[in-house]
Amino acid sequence: MLRLLRKVVQTGQVTLPYPFAPVEVAPDFRGKPVYDFSRCLGCGACARACPPQAITVEWSAQRGVVTWSIHYGRCIFCGRCEEVCPTGAIGLSQDFELAATRAEDLVVRAELQMARCPGCGEPFAPARELEYVRASLEAARGAASPVLAARLQLCPRCRRREAAARSGPAGRRQGGGSR
Amino acid sequence: MQSETAVSQGARSVVESLRARFGAAVLEETWQAPDQVTLTVALDALPEVVAAAYYDCGGWLATVVGNDERGLHGHFALYYVLSMEQGQAPYPWLTIRALVPGHRPQFPSVTPRVPAAVWYERELRDLFGLEPVGLPDTRRLVLPDDWPEDLHPLRKDAMDYRYRPEPVGEAENYPFVGPEGEGIGEVPLGPLHIAQEEPGHFRLYVDGEEIVDADYRLFYSHRGIEKLAENRMDYDQVTFLAERICGICGYTHSVAYAHAVERAAGIEAPPRAEAIRTILLEVERLHSHLLNVGVAAHLVGFDTGFMHLFRVREKAMQMAEILTGGRKTYGMNLIGGVRRDILKDQKDAVLRLLRELETEVTELVEILVDTPNFYARTRGVGRLDPQIARDYSPVGPNLRGSGYPRDTRMGHPYGAYNRVPWQVISETGCDVLARTLVRCREIHESIGIIRACLEEMPPGPILAEGFSFKPYAVGLGWTEAPRGENVHWVMLGPDRKVYRWRPRASTYNNWPPLRYMFRGNTVADAPLIVASIDPCYSCTERVTVVDVRKRRVQVVPYKELQRYCREQKHSPLRD
Repeated sequence: MLRLLRKVVQTGQVTLPYPFAPVEVAPDFRGKPVYDFSRCLGCGACARACPPQAITVEWSAQRGVVTWSIHYGRCIFCGRCEEVCPTGAIGLSQDFELAATRAEDLVVRAELQMARCPGCGEPFAPARELEYVRASLEAARGAASPVLAARLQLCPRCRRREAAARSGPAGRRQGGGSR
Repeated sequence: MQSETAVSQGARSVVESLRARFGAAVLEETWQAPDQVTLTVALDALPEVVAAAYYDCGGWLATVVGNDERGLHGHFALYYVLSMEQGQAPYPWLTIRALVPGHRPQFPSVTPRVPAAVWYERELRDLFGLEPVGLPDTRRLVLPDDWPEDLHPLRKDAMDYRYRPEPVGEAENYPFVGPEGEGIGEVPLGPLHIAQEEPGHFRLYVDGEEIVDADYRLFYSHRGIEKLAENRMDYDQVTFLAERICGICGYTHSVAYAHAVERAAGIEAPPRAEAIRTILLEVERLHSHLLNVGVAAHLVGFDTGFMHLFRVREKAMQMAEILTGGRKTYGMNLIGGVRRDILKDQKDAVLRLLRELETEVTELVEILVDTPNFYARTRGVGRLDPQIARDYSPVGPNLRGSGYPRDTRMGHPYGAYNRVPWQVISETGCDVLARTLVRCREIHESIGIIRACLEEMPPGPILAEGFSFKPYAVGLGWTEAPRGENVHWVMLGPDRKVYRWRPRASTYNNWPPLRYMFRGNTVADAPLIVASIDPCYSCTERVTVVDVRKRRVQVVPYKELQRYCREQKHSPLRD
């Protein structure tokens, strides 16, 4: 009993006055993921990796936009989005105080323009993603020839058509004749 | 490796003795690893073969898995997984597999011969609609009482994973089973339990103050994560889902799952990754054991000790925060290794916290066991008889308190457990005291393991990459969670998915024998006994008492029962 009393006195007060004073977290604490719209390509790698589907990417061909969104109420702070993002557009912060009075306040949404195919006029990929691919190719292999550069702007279907047309009747026969 | 040869010899001798006895009934023998063998047996011979492996060859039931393989070969498959513990560790795993024809979904129940199979077989009936013929208990286990009769969620053709059927009835109609007769009363405990806020409904049968039997209804929080994992998630995502099986020892599930997939796909995580996993598993054990010992102190009325144990537990939470960025969900695993390395600063900080924790825990545990009340309240209470333990395959400190030095970390070494010095802790008291002392002593083993791993971290990468997945390969993963062995069984599927994932949490094996541990104790000890198996849930919200002698039902609020447990004065059952 005496030992216990001594222990109690020695220890003193250990509770913190939080929330009236801030609490420090570890340097590598996994808190709220912060989104940087200026770097986002709309590629959707984060949405594919996100285990709880807190991040979603929806394409609307009609409006020609990609809608990226994160729901902090679903987030498990694992940081997979940060790990797979090619441009560092999302990263975990040390912020853990996410309480909100309205559910909508837990959602961040962004819309990105899609590029339209010069062949058929259909939107087919986020414009920034396309530009990112072009720049990466250029960085790796030097500037593309005008033919290749033009081909990059085509949607996959028009590109197939263009490739088939270029290889002539022989190419079309070997290709198996989808139409 | 020498131990690998010994372990495969052990497996081979078990296979030979089973073949000698059952000859023609053994249809196929396949080896998944040097320590893992699967015998496919004729369905009719299933109970005999499992019983022979269990009682005659030192088998303990690790898990039973049902799998809808009709799409592959027209049958359901049953896998009874046993840990064969004869002679010296490490021990091999034996899986006894039987096929159930799709058009005739029945199989002979193993439970009459091996009681440990009872929950597994009830679950097979619920989730797959496979009828265990001869199983005495015909009640549901997993599915709610208002679930439609013929809807078996884990059949591949049963339902979409998002489907939520309308309740078929309003009434709570689960029939509790217990003794009846003159002088026997009923004490419903629940639907929420007494130490952690999770639902479970207990019915204690009492004669005056003495408990003569008990029955319980659990699975109120079954969410169908197996179905979710099969349908919506890829391999890597399931590691995070697995971590959410438990709010206390989630990381053990994540590791067991990752190991199962890695074994199935033939991936070996780098030694450094395994060392990091081991460190985190032990950090998790520290905080879990300190929590449980704290709760035990609280329930015997020693609240100052409870507060101080929780204060010291905070150091384990800080270690986790430093090493993983999260206090509770570590989120560290991917298939093939871990996501974060441990750097010098972090290592030093953790070693410092570890020293502080060690000194404080030693002191606090001494104070706790010196409290006069402590021995009086825990000795001889909630006895887990060694024979009951043998019949039901309970796990963890629950079993080790009854004289069995059984620990998966030693029995089937994984991670870095065979590279650092430590020992299995066991006690022979069979009571609440023994289980608490096992945990107190294990805290020191954990500290030693963390220290040894941190000081001798193997160099190299932390994540194996560039592997390919093999559809329909099967793998087994296991970990010793703070509350006992977890076993995860995985069959890989196409499209980066799992075809079937069966996680078995440690407490699953500890519930069925709990009934016997209640018998002969008083109502006031019930919360203490439940807490002593360290169940993955707790905190009874309220308690209803049915006294059969007086034909009377009485509701006792949770706080009142807890007060009674702590003070042992003014029984709420008296008039």
